[in-house]
Amino acid sequence: MRSLLHALILGLLGAGIVHIVVLFLVPEFSERDAWSRLAMASDLYKMTRLDAEAGGAPVVKSVDPLFYAAACRFDLADGLVRIKAPGDVPFWSASVYDSSGHNLYSFNDHNANGEKLDTVVLTPAQMIDVRRDLPEDLQGAIFVEAPIEEGIFVVRAFVPDESWKPIVSRFLEQSACELQDY
Amino acid sequence: MLKNAILTLLSLAMAIGLGGYSVWYALNAQDGVGAIRIGQWTAFPEVGTLAADPYSKARVAREGVLALGRAEGLAFVAERDDAGEPLKRECAYTIEDGYPTARFWTLYAADQSLGVIDTGKPRQAALQSYEVLRQPDNSVVISVGNRPAPGNWLLTGGFGKMYFVLTFYDTPIASSTGLSDVTLPRILKAGCDA
Repeated sequence: MRSLLHALILGLLGAGIVHIVVLFLVPEFSERDAWSRLAMASDLYKMTRLDAEAGGAPVVKSVDPLFYAAACRFDLADGLVRIKAPGDVPFWSASVYDSSGHNLYSFNDHNANGEKLDTVVLTPAQMIDVRRDLPEDLQGAIFVEAPIEEGIFVVRAFVPDESWKPIVSRFLEQSACELQDY
Repeated sequence: MLKNAILTLLSLAMAIGLGGYSVWYALNAQDGVGAIRIGQWTAFPEVGTLAADPYSKARVAREGVLALGRAEGLAFVAERDDAGEPLKRECAYTIEDGYPTARFWTLYAADQSLGVIDTGKPRQAALQSYEVLRQPDNSVVISVGNRPAPGNWLLTGGFGKMYFVLTFYDTPIASSTGLSDVTLPRILKAGCDA
């Protein structure tokens, strides 16, 4: 009897340990996180629509129905990445995520120069290099320092009504996400 | 000897079974650690940040969520009306009273996975603050239901559980200091289809 009790207590204790271990392993091994879903949908440095408007199921769920969104994956080990989008939309916002989906930095059109989306994401080490001799065409860009290698950049744009749909779609489709030489 | 082996097996089975199940259960529960409740509305301002608790982190990884950043907005979810009853798609509701400071907000009716419900019609089950009609005191009254209503009408339809998702964009309340004295609109049941 005593040894059964012993086994039960040991089992409960083990359950607690397993609970904690599994909890911390889920983010490490998840194949359903945003990075893996985007990786299945497209390559690095390619803007991908997240909403269902472009056809098919949404890549990443739970986007506001009055918003369109696009994302691209990047790897800062290859160099700086620059994201630009032309055109005027009522509201846009952008976020930089690390590869496990943590929001590291976010800003919106009121934070940007002339409400244009023009951003460079780089590591602190690359920032030191760029600062030494800032290229002319990067003067107006927003610099986002992120201590990561792989990451995700997401642009969200507001669609107030039906008539804005083509304009907002064009804004996202013409947005570019590319490696920047410096 | 055999007794020892069975007891060891029992402990192991308990540890793995209970441990795994409890994580699964905790990750599927809608409520969670770090929630902020205002009336019937719940928000998770820390979800998707590095400061989030391990449960939110695991949930974010499992569901592939890309959470809104602080400079983007903050989403509130309601699953009950002001009387404490769960929201149902077959019922009509009135959402009234003021909204906190924000550049604009959007409101939509959602299903269990927090995606917008499919109304089967060209009209979406969503409204935003630029298109609503306001009362003389700047408050907003929204009628929710499957029958057209004068004023602001949020179309819903179908049967089963429903959630309201109210998202404020470019708002000072997303920085935690502003959350203490925020008032959010009340959800009143107006009636149900039998």
